[in-house]
Amino acid sequence: MEFGYMNKWLKVNLTLKEFKDFSISEDILRQFVGGKGIAVHLLWKYVSKLEEKGINVKDFNALSSENMLIFATGPVTGTRSPNSGRHHVMALKSPLTGSIGSGNTGGRWGAKLKFAGYDGIVVIGKAEDPVYISIIDGFVEIHDATELWGKNSIETSSHLRNKHDKKRAGVSCIGPAGENLVPMAVIMNEEHRAAGRTGLGAVMASKNLKAIIVEGNDKPNIAKPDEFDLKVKEHVEKLKENGVTGEGLPTYGTAVLVNIINQNGMLPTKNWQTGVNPEAEKISGETLTEEYLINKHPCWGCVVACGRKTKVDKGNYKITYTEGPEYESIWALGGSTAINNMGAVIKANHYCDIFGMDPISVGSSIAAAMELNEKGMIPEDDLQGIDLRFGNADAVVELTWMTAFRQGLGFWIGEGSRKMCLHYGSPDLSMSVKGLEMPAYDPRGAKGIGLNYATGNRGGCHVTGYTIAAEILGDVDRFTIDGKAELTKIFQDFTSLVNSSVNCLFLTFALGLDEYAEMIGPITGWDVDSDELLTIGERITNLERMIINKFGITGKDDTLPKRLLEEKMPEGPSKGQTVDLDTMKEEYYELRGWVNGIPSEEKIIELGLK
Amino acid sequence: MKIYVKVFASLRKKYPNISDLNPLEMEIDKGTTLAQLIAMLKFDQEEVKIILVNGLRASVEDIINEEDSIISLFPAVGGG
Repeated sequence: MEFGYMNKWLKVNLTLKEFKDFSISEDILRQFVGGKGIAVHLLWKYVSKLEEKGINVKDFNALSSENMLIFATGPVTGTRSPNSGRHHVMALKSPLTGSIGSGNTGGRWGAKLKFAGYDGIVVIGKAEDPVYISIIDGFVEIHDATELWGKNSIETSSHLRNKHDKKRAGVSCIGPAGENLVPMAVIMNEEHRAAGRTGLGAVMASKNLKAIIVEGNDKPNIAKPDEFDLKVKEHVEKLKENGVTGEGLPTYGTAVLVNIINQNGMLPTKNWQTGVNPEAEKISGETLTEEYLINKHPCWGCVVACGRKTKVDKGNYKITYTEGPEYESIWALGGSTAINNMGAVIKANHYCDIFGMDPISVGSSIAAAMELNEKGMIPEDDLQGIDLRFGNADAVVELTWMTAFRQGLGFWIGEGSRKMCLHYGSPDLSMSVKGLEMPAYDPRGAKGIGLNYATGNRGGCHVTGYTIAAEILGDVDRFTIDGKAELTKIFQDFTSLVNSSVNCLFLTFALGLDEYAEMIGPITGWDVDSDELLTIGERITNLERMIINKFGITGKDDTLPKRLLEEKMPEGPSKGQTVDLDTMKEEYYELRGWVNGIPSEEKIIELGLK
Repeated sequence: MKIYVKVFASLRKKYPNISDLNPLEMEIDKGTTLAQLIAMLKFDQEEVKIILVNGLRASVEDIINEEDSIISLFPAVGGG
């Protein structure tokens, strides 16, 4: 493939300490584009290979050396197209959920991997001792990482950049949480960006792989450079003119959502017991901007700059410099726990960054523990003196680091709310889908996002199909279930395409499928249109579904916590609402061509996946 | 008729002290529309992209009917 790609993938077997290059055919690239799409394609092939070896993928242990970890860029990554410094990370199985492992991240690592000469990396096996990989100017080496083991993400990144004398290199690494095999550990890159969900950091740690440093000066060729430059200018203009990408996100960051979601009565509070948080203003984007913001910090090639450089210079949680927090982190650590203390949120989020953990799963599991405690389900001995009440900021900060180091109740927080709530005898208090803690939108106030949570392949997640853009930020009736199946399907398939391109999902506030055709076409030279791109997205969503079907995940798992299905929202603008999931799900399966959560033979053939 | 107005994000440039915790109390005539309220607050109609009345979506031509209504005004916002 002449244009858009580096035409080279790296496969590393850490057990054998061997690596080799391989390539992906243009036919496969055209079907799956890159990023998540190619990763899903490779994982599907790997499932077949494991089955041929007689390995039952259903019982397959996510932390075994056989798990496959993939870092993937796409044709848009590392080009002049805006916000294209991103990459996608996948694992065959997540240690947190037992479903597929998947995360998308910003920073500059994705672009730098291409500049180093590679489109992606596949890692299998397990090194005997800790190692890290360097890919610099196309030259690959596996190094001893014994001296890095135990270092946090900031120490690891700066150590490697200094050692290789590459000050702007991309560094992906795990922190102590990953080393301790915490199932909600993340892979950090550029210190404060993360492939954040489903425990990818624990998978990386289980391979004794501490970090991957990438740097280089290569560039992908562009098929139609003049046309591409013109479209880049047009797209940048559209992003600048759009109210969300041109003003809301640059000024306030993602935390601008705290107030609007709360005003709609759907900001999950006290472990989703209500959607109304009377003190949400204290943890809002406006408060973050006025009292804690140092400056903005864009990812590579980003024209939006939602990233925040922050500090806390008063109160009990002082910190001179960190980044974030994002809307989801603020909500999970500060809203669901009802602490409404921005200083404590920033501190706990900083711990998540340096120790390498997913703040959504950490905060949400702490909130679940608070409700377990409220209901008297946690024995006094297990609390070890922690005053685990909703609203106790000290408890959130303390439990966050305890989770990274598997101390006391932190062990169960780290296992995730599903296992923890089961352990303490109240499984219904886990606000998760397929074992992944849901993000900060109560679907009793916006029904489409509930269908998206329920049917998401990786579990309870908003960035697989962000229907909130239509239901809360757009004009679609948030309470109706009519049309939500189609809305969800389109959002999910479009998102699969975005994560395969790979660039930033926030572009989609201003750019649609036509604009994606205007990027991918001139870069690759393919004559693509929006219909073909949406079909590619559908193909990727379906193949990912076929993989999780192999794990025994089917329609029974496409569900929501009982609280959302049966307990009416007790107060506020969404009062009295529940989610009629079954009706939406039936329509969704019909539209998808799925039977009980499994793609039909006809659909598999139609998408060329037979 | 008494109402409470809350403004958010960039709309606070004009009303820096008005927030969820400190809404603006206003007396308006019965029959006032949201468009008229936006004009009374000296916002351009284009600036205000999302209007909630007691947490429910409303449009500029809607009339504010209820005493003590809470009107939440937002510019274009988004995130994830």
